[in-house]
Amino acid sequence: MIPEWMKDAPNPFNTVLVANRGEIAVRIIKAVQEAGLRAIAIYSEPDKDSLHTEMANQAIYLPGDSLSENYLNSEAIIEAAKASGAQAIHPGYGFLSERADFAEAVEKSGITWIGPSPEAIETMGDKISARSRMIESGVPVIPGDEVAIPDDSDHLGTLASVAARVGYPLLLKASAGGGGKGMRIVREPKMLRTEYEAAAREASAAFGDGTVYVERLLTGARHIEIQILADKYGNCIHLNERDCSLQRRHQKVIEEAPSSAVSDELRKSMGESAVLAAKSVDYVGAGTVELLLSSNGDFYFLEMNTRLQVEHPVTEMITGVDLVHKQLEIASGLPLGISQDSMSISGHSIEARIYAEDAKKGFLPAIGKLALWRPPTGPGIRVDSGVKEGDEVTVNFDPMLAKLIVHAPSRMAAIRRLELALSSFVALGVTTNIGFLRNALTHPAFMSGNITTDFLDNTPMSEFTSEDPDPTVLVAIASAAKRLGAGKYGVNTNSRMIDDHSGHAYDPFITLSRRLP
Amino acid sequence: MNWKISEIDEIFSIDLAERDGLITVSSINSDGQNIESPEVIISKLDDRSRVSVEINGKLRFAHVAKVGDKWWIHLDGDIFTISELEKGAKSSDKIEGGLTAPMPGTVLDVMVREGQRVREGQPLMTMEAMKMEHRIVAPKAGEVLSINFSQGERVDMGSVLVELGD
Repeated sequence: MIPEWMKDAPNPFNTVLVANRGEIAVRIIKAVQEAGLRAIAIYSEPDKDSLHTEMANQAIYLPGDSLSENYLNSEAIIEAAKASGAQAIHPGYGFLSERADFAEAVEKSGITWIGPSPEAIETMGDKISARSRMIESGVPVIPGDEVAIPDDSDHLGTLASVAARVGYPLLLKASAGGGGKGMRIVREPKMLRTEYEAAAREASAAFGDGTVYVERLLTGARHIEIQILADKYGNCIHLNERDCSLQRRHQKVIEEAPSSAVSDELRKSMGESAVLAAKSVDYVGAGTVELLLSSNGDFYFLEMNTRLQVEHPVTEMITGVDLVHKQLEIASGLPLGISQDSMSISGHSIEARIYAEDAKKGFLPAIGKLALWRPPTGPGIRVDSGVKEGDEVTVNFDPMLAKLIVHAPSRMAAIRRLELALSSFVALGVTTNIGFLRNALTHPAFMSGNITTDFLDNTPMSEFTSEDPDPTVLVAIASAAKRLGAGKYGVNTNSRMIDDHSGHAYDPFITLSRRLP
Repeated sequence: MNWKISEIDEIFSIDLAERDGLITVSSINSDGQNIESPEVIISKLDDRSRVSVEINGKLRFAHVAKVGDKWWIHLDGDIFTISELEKGAKSSDKIEGGLTAPMPGTVLDVMVREGQRVREGQPLMTMEAMKMEHRIVAPKAGEVLSINFSQGERVDMGSVLVELGD
């Protein structure tokens, strides 16, 4: 059955395979089901009881211990789509989402790819080709040089002359890079060789390609990114900016929209550049153009992410546009249906990424059992989560447990709402970064709205830690809880269903939400 | 009952009094010394994970969960962990057992065999976790009863690596 909204679409589909896991798989499955379509999940052994597997209309098991055998196995995923009757594949973020060869294989097999063309992914995926394309299209890039320095030839002479032309301090960047890997700061010429070798080594190890290029180092800049949407008919709009300047080692921690550093005029000009960037590769679908905003108000193209972003919810909150639903519409061949002029900003939204990690121990990933998982609820609070109470958090996957997103009329109101939401977020059994997030959110520098991307890395951790508790109160609570028989949980996920009075699992008055007349 | 709070060195012991489901603190010791405690009244709520905590007349609610020997407490937006110790345990005693994996990782080397007698402090196994090597040593002299993992095997945090008898 094709739902009503899709009946005039040139390329209708009724079943979508979600080639991902965790919170983003859950987010997409909900959007697919809400759109009246069937959602197919894929899962590997550790995910057999996970939330995304439970929620899907059908879940297909992909065997194997390594990611290359399941979540990164293009052939098996396309087979799963065919076997389940899925006519479209949504890749989510990470995994295969930015692999041009996967997009191509999906299209070749006659399945609709919910994303941009393989050519667009390819061009934007290579930093040097993306930079060249931006220069051709008139999008500002960071002063630098597109000369590729391969790591297998006599290159130091070339590198030194390029470096001299660009000027110090500079940044060596892996052409195939991302996530801070293969990126090195060089402050003076004598460090060039050492840092170059380290960057090339890291880049080859991470991406199988040691090619690097040179950019001027911009300090004191903000990370501003523009969400764009484009249909198959050349309509392309931007949905305002997100400010992701609160980062730890190039990893985003808290994101917000709109940015306190972006005026209406700047928004218009950044938005136009982002649309230009997207049009230069005939972009189709949802994408993000990342920009660096320098302290003097100039901005530069950083990279384009040819997929949905982790932090997409803040844009949804302030614009009222469901980005995943738009992706489905665009993939079915429907026109965009919204114009740039109809875009507006309503209030302020902030997202905090909840990780299973120990901020007091150098952010080491934490593991354990989520004995108690009570995310906050209330007006203006959204939780995009991939886990449920009783889940085991392991080292198999990314340690992000959930995203906590708030929406409020103003930035200060949003900060207060998020602070309270973080305070009432009960996650026991696994160490999380919730306390750190709350302290970062309420740090005077963040509250002032003036932080730059180097803020977290240059601020001592002691500014983000809470005061020591009163030990006597904690000892009293733990020993009283023991005496009162509170807080005890069994080992299986169903144990929370055991009724206190009857002592049975699945007490009918709890499990049947039946209303008596 | 003796208690150890994560990141606080002292060992606490406490005596409680109970009346009509309300629990109060009779006395509390820190490393054997009697210390002052605020007036605390704790009672259970309908939800098994929550207790009400009245501290010097101010009412709060805490969430509690027991996982293994550890109690997790959520109070006023902060999360704490506190472990119950065997009677007589001192702060120098290791709470996390010496023969369990300190982190998830891989066994690099096994230096002993089953049935072998080992002396206190003798290295039994090395494992790699989070790109660092950890040496598992015998906490006391004794006989190796079983070796549960071999070289190259992956282990989860808390897995018992080696069992020692007297």
